[in-house]
Amino acid sequence: MTGALHRASSREFAGTIEAAEDAEAWLVSQSGRLGLAENTRFAINLCLEELFLNAVQHGRANRATVSLWTEADGVRVEFVDDGRAFDPTVVHSKRISGPSEDFTIGGYGTGLVQKFSKRMSYRRTEGRNCLLLEFGADSGATAG
Amino acid sequence: MDMSVIEEPEGLTHVVLDGRFDIAGAQAVDGPFTALAAKAKFLVVDLGKVSFIASLGVRTLMVGAKAVNRRGDYIAVCGADPNVEKVLRSTGFDEIVGLYPDFDSAASALKGRAASFASRGG
Repeated sequence: MTGALHRASSREFAGTIEAAEDAEAWLVSQSGRLGLAENTRFAINLCLEELFLNAVQHGRANRATVSLWTEADGVRVEFVDDGRAFDPTVVHSKRISGPSEDFTIGGYGTGLVQKFSKRMSYRRTEGRNCLLLEFGADSGATAG
Repeated sequence: MDMSVIEEPEGLTHVVLDGRFDIAGAQAVDGPFTALAAKAKFLVVDLGKVSFIASLGVRTLMVGAKAVNRRGDYIAVCGADPNVEKVLRSTGFDEIVGLYPDFDSAASALKGRAASFASRGG
């Protein structure tokens, strides 16, 4: 992704499962102004839901801040939370394995974030997880 | 998220999910969907009105599919839009449950599988 970045919007959310819905509503409210394509909005929405779930359920986060940047060829989303250290970029993407009547259920969220974002980078700084996600201008089902 | 059940001819159960299959949506239908999957012989899950799905929604579908498959009964999913289908395929869900464009093709596939199984003496 190249070109100048423009911070478009940023908001802090409570570290609760319900906050994922608040984040979705906020994303919808920003989508028109940012000109997000439907597929891109779907991908961002999916990633935010999975990140909230991970941060709250597993990381015990109390707060999370979501920031959106746009540029000519895509969108960047930064997700910062104060939960336990967790780097989703190094987690092996999980898929169903085993027989159809006895497969393991659960643990697919991080794989979805990896699949639906174009690029991910992570750093741990000042006790916070900082995850930067990049999305193409049309990052949905047509993006492979 | 809403869930409605249509009992079709020939023992087919057609369940239509409507809304966002996110955290709240999964919480809303998890119980009734699991109960339905516990007894349906031929279950077609219609996602044609589902605009969004995340991992908890996929989990609900997986729990139901696992129960159906363990009994040797039949389940299929139909009508998923491209983004919803991509989520399902990303988790490998399509490797245990067939995905079809519409109810008729899903129902036909389930009946065909059952007939094939019966003809082999299963």
